[in-house]
Order: sequence, then structure tokens, then C-alpha cells
Amino acid sequence: MRTVTLHDYKRRIGQVLAHIQEHLDGPLALDELAALACFSRYHFHRIFKGMVGESVKEYVRRLRLERAASQLKLGSASVVEIALDAGYESHEAFTRSFKACFGAAPSHFRSIRRRQFAAVSSGIHYRPGKTIRHFKTLHRGGNMDVKIQQLTPMRVAYLRHVGPYGEVGATWDRLLTILGKDGYLGGGTMLIGLCHDDPEVTPPSKIRYDACVTVGDDFAPSGGIQVQTVAGGEYAMTTHNGPYNDVGRTYAELLGQWIPRSGRELRDVPCFEVYLNDPQSTAPEDLLTDIYAPLQTQGSATRR
Amino acid sequence: MKTAEKVDLYREFSKEYAATRDPALVKVGPATYLSISGKGAPGGDGFSEAIGALYGVAFTVKMTRKFAGKGDYTVSKLEGLWPDFTSGEVIPDKNQWNWQMMIRTPKFVTEKDLAQAVAVLLKRGKGTEVQRVRLESLKEGLCVQALHVGPYEKECTTIAAMKSFAEGEGLKVHGVHHEIYLSDPRRVAPAKLKTILRLPVEKAAE
Repeated sequence: MRTVTLHDYKRRIGQVLAHIQEHLDGPLALDELAALACFSRYHFHRIFKGMVGESVKEYVRRLRLERAASQLKLGSASVVEIALDAGYESHEAFTRSFKACFGAAPSHFRSIRRRQFAAVSSGIHYRPGKTIRHFKTLHRGGNMDVKIQQLTPMRVAYLRHVGPYGEVGATWDRLLTILGKDGYLGGGTMLIGLCHDDPEVTPPSKIRYDACVTVGDDFAPSGGIQVQTVAGGEYAMTTHNGPYNDVGRTYAELLGQWIPRSGRELRDVPCFEVYLNDPQSTAPEDLLTDIYAPLQTQGSATRR
Repeated sequence: MKTAEKVDLYREFSKEYAATRDPALVKVGPATYLSISGKGAPGGDGFSEAIGALYGVAFTVKMTRKFAGKGDYTVSKLEGLWPDFTSGEVIPDKNQWNWQMMIRTPKFVTEKDLAQAVAVLLKRGKGTEVQRVRLESLKEGLCVQALHVGPYEKECTTIAAMKSFAEGEGLKVHGVHHEIYLSDPRRVAPAKLKTILRLPVEKAAE
């Protein structure tokens, strides 16, 4: 059995890019796109962003705008029709996005000779009827400092937060106060964040995030605090150095740039993060967060 | 009148924590600490366990008070007291060093808070080291202070500069030296570690 290579990852993401181009008017649900390329739904969007340099949402939006641009040039449809076609409900919203992308309002763009798309790192633009064979991957994170670690399953007490990622602090406050007064925050306790949704793809009000604290077998769930087990096994771990709101960049580098070059496949369980310092007494730029991405056992990767 | 705002001692007493690479004089008022003492090499087993116990007590005290609606505060940075080895005598073996690790704590924290936290942690089986944690006060008064950037082993250079600064001011160092840890040594590269060094001083004899 051979190991997966960067080429395999590129081929699979390439299939997604082609599928999006051919189905620009479809719903393009993330789960469906992930399945198409045989990626776990937990990791697909981060792999995509790390490799392509844009999120799925940004990519779809840009391609729809580029299609609109060629319709303006080559067709005779009205700007309003083209706007609706590109998924915009109002002429104003379309004009605003279009201008941001091409530097000219749609009507003006139609009358000028030049037809140029802004440069993107993947090099992929809307080209009807053309197959996507190659795209450029980012590889900033290709040489990031990553360690492979074997973890035993961890029993954690947790509270679930549903809402904007920036507001998880209140949930942590509640969890730590209740556990702290009962003596569960003694030496060696780990503070873990388990994010089931990505802030870049899920609407803020629907993001599910578990604030978790490692506990022993003596902890019994009570007062709304529940217990779950964080999966053990092999993980790729890297440290994010800086503010919490910037953690997505490190996820994208680890999953979309380091992993594809590592010969490894991701496992179908969520990533998690471990907070190493107290945000109340640490400046945001000094915060340290370990990010763990679950790996499949080497050699067990199924090739499809 | 008391406000509902959260107490942050590091911010409240920011003047006492002001430090640059150049030594300067600071006045340090009386302060209360949760502290644990021990003997042995820094970073060794006993040392790490003691720090774990100290943090366990600090967070348990804070959360117990907070849960009871007695006001919230930030758990301050780790500090330590170490013997002064730069006075010329032979530096003893690391395993013989006496140290005291501390976390500054608001004055409203009482012995009763401490005893209650220790009892809860013992009940949870968090190790007997928590029984060594004490509530202590320090009155350092006038001090020479500087920011040391680099490995702990190289502190002697900064301390030498602080001492010669004190001398120039007609002062001499008395007592142990005090360190305030701004960086996490588990993760920050030794060359980038930031530590505030503090030496209590008094008027030198004529």
C-alpha cells in the first residue's frame, strides 16, 4: 500500500474545483463537496482553504462573479439578470461585490475593452468547458514545526457553547468557576477546545464549540456539565502563537499545506486545541495554543 | 465604594512591574502572595509538582470566591524568590537551592479561603503538595529592577548591572532576589524569555 502524496491531495481538490465550476448554480453543500473528494467533513474546508488559498465560499463567490463578468462581455443579458444569475438578490449588492473584485461597476465594465481577472494564488479562473488539470497550492506551512503525537483517550467535563466563536469566554467562565470551586483544576489539568464547526463556513449563531477540562473517573456530570471522551490515537500537533481570533490561519496551514505533504490522511474526528496560558494575565500576542489534527493509522489510508 | 470591575493586580500595580533592560529604582508596597517553598533544581520533579500545586490552590481559591459572589480577580503571573549567588561565593549545586514560588493574590484572600481550597483539592486526590502552600506577605520597599531577556542561566549579567547601578546610587542590595516570569519556559525559546528581576536595596554604609 503506498502512502498518499501531495499529488493525490491536488487531484482530489482539483475534482472539487472542477465540480464547482460545472455546478455554479447548484447548492454546493460542503458535505457533498467533501464526500466527492473523499475528505472527512470535519477537515475538508480547512484542507481546501490551506491548499487553494480561499475558502470554499470565497472561491464559489469569485467564480460566480467571474462568470458574470464574461456574461457582461460576451452576452446581451441585462445587469439585473446577470446579478440574479450570480446569486445576488439586489442590483446594489451585486454592483458592490463586482466593483470590489474587478475595480469597475458592471455597466462600465461592459463598455471597456479590457477583460482581466484579478490574480489569485491558485491561478484558477472561470473558464467554461475547460477541465482543471493544475492549480497552484500554497505552501507556506510546508515547513511548519509539527510533531506527531500518540495520545490516550481523554475524559473531559464540558459545556457546549452554540453561538459566535468570539463569545466562548462566557462558557469557559461558567465551566471553570463550577469545576474550580470543586477542586477539579489542580495541577496537570488540560483546557481543551473542541470546535465542531468552522467559523469561516458556519453562520456565527450556529457554531458548536465544547469548552472541555480533563477530569478523572471520579467526576460525575451535574449542573449542566456533561462528560465526553476526546479520541486518542495519532495526532499532528503544532503550536499557534498569538491571538485566538487568528487561529484559523494556523489550522489552514496545518491541514491544507503541511498534511498534504506529510504522506498522511486525516481521521474522521474533529481537531481540538489546547490552551497553554491564561488569557486574563497574558497579552494576546503571547498566547500559546496547541492545535491537534487527528491522523489515520499509517498504511490504513483507503485509496479510492 | 467597591466597583464590580475585576481586580487585576498586575495592572493595578503596574508601576511596581515597570522594567526595562536598563536598571531603575522602583518602590514596592506590601503585597500578599500564595507561596510554596522547596529545595532542589529548578525544573526538577519536586519543583514542577510544587508549581502545579500552587496553581491548583490559586485557581481553587479564586473560583470558590467567585462562585460565592465574593468578587472576581485575575490570577497573577508566577514569581519566585531565589538566593543571591552573585556575591562572590561559590555557587552551590543546583540540587541544594532553596526557592520560594509565589502568585500575588488580593489582600481580601484569607487563611480560611486557603484552608478550604486545600481541603477540597486533597479530597480530589490532587496530591499532598497543596498542604505546603502558604499565604505570605512581603514588604520589599525600595528595589532595583530590570528586565532580563534571555536564558535564566544568564541572569548573572543583568544582576551584575543592577548591582553596579545600585552602587552608583549609594545603595546596596539586601535579601534574596525576586523574579517575575513574563514568559512560559515550556514553550518560549531560552533566548526570548522575559523575566523581571528585582533586588531590594538599602542605603549603603558610609
